[in-house]
Amino acid sequence: MRRLTLTLLAAWPLTGWATTHSVDPETGLATWQTETQGAQIRLTQISPDQIRGFYLARGFSPEAAERYARECVFMTVVRNIGDTTIHHRLADWRYATADQPRRAVRGKPAWDALWKRMGVGESARIAFTWAQFPATQTFAPGDWNQGMTAYSVPRGEVFDLQVVWRAGGKAHGGILEQVRCADENS
Amino acid sequence: MKIRDHWIGAALAACWTFGLAAASQAADLPPLSHSLTMQAPKPAPPLKLKDMEGKTVDLAQFKGKVVLINFWATWCPPCRREMPSMERLSQAFKGQPFVVLAVDVGEDPDTIETFISQLDTTLTFPILLDTRSHGMRAWKVAGLPTTFLVDKQGRIVASAIGGREFDHPEIVREIQKLLRK
Repeated sequence: MRRLTLTLLAAWPLTGWATTHSVDPETGLATWQTETQGAQIRLTQISPDQIRGFYLARGFSPEAAERYARECVFMTVVRNIGDTTIHHRLADWRYATADQPRRAVRGKPAWDALWKRMGVGESARIAFTWAQFPATQTFAPGDWNQGMTAYSVPRGEVFDLQVVWRAGGKAHGGILEQVRCADENS
Repeated sequence: MKIRDHWIGAALAACWTFGLAAASQAADLPPLSHSLTMQAPKPAPPLKLKDMEGKTVDLAQFKGKVVLINFWATWCPPCRREMPSMERLSQAFKGQPFVVLAVDVGEDPDTIETFISQLDTTLTFPILLDTRSHGMRAWKVAGLPTTFLVDKQGRIVASAIGGREFDHPEIVREIQKLLRK
């Protein structure tokens, strides 16, 4: 089964999905959403100020909060809208900009190691861990999760996100194209 | 200084959570689901945590009752959205052998109290403190919110990942079935 997923990963670039794009008139923050093969995937920009505010309130130092605010962070929702169980693994996702090679999403253990080095306390690290989108998850029909995903992409730049999952013994995937990182002043 | 820091922290938390809640509505997040994933019964892992008053609550003491266990945190938007429906569910089964336990992950009573005081609904079920998230790990929770339904024999019989409208007829019906067993 893992080989199927790897095969799909190797097949980059996959087909781009039909994606709806909307902008919140109040905040100016943008959302990209697709519904395909029984899965709904949605990315909504989180502004750097929202990131700073959230992690300062959770006990991060200003330096540590600033470090995460340098990333391009999205509120990410995956929802099972089909009738087959979905197996998700964030390590299978890849993103790429026009001038950067595709990369994996940085995992929670790597972030946790960084926060430890920066002296972030345990309760703040726990909040960080659970605020991120799950590393792995099994979504039964009707299940969904919401959490942060972070991409090392400069402010205002666009990237393509390849999302892969398994359902019904098959690997599925596609690309959310032209997702744009929030501006500093969003 | 400590008191001032506390208030600054509380204000920041409130700004974030309200800001995020508002953003969630504006961004039209997926609606709360109303499905439960039924599963073959399996023994529930132990769960023994302190409540908001410092009293130890042990899942084992609820044998003979149906228990809904919800893992959550105040900063988790779907957790916040589903909380009033969990209270309505609890009220709907008042007087019956049914218990709701809300297990907060990684937060202190002050933070939780601040959140509760902002709700339109008064929560009457116990809120347990999983301060170091050991309970979550024992229950193999991968993301918040996650909810389990435990039968009278102390076995997990259903789960739900993501926000739910807990007083939806589909969920109420499943609980009624378990109560009749």
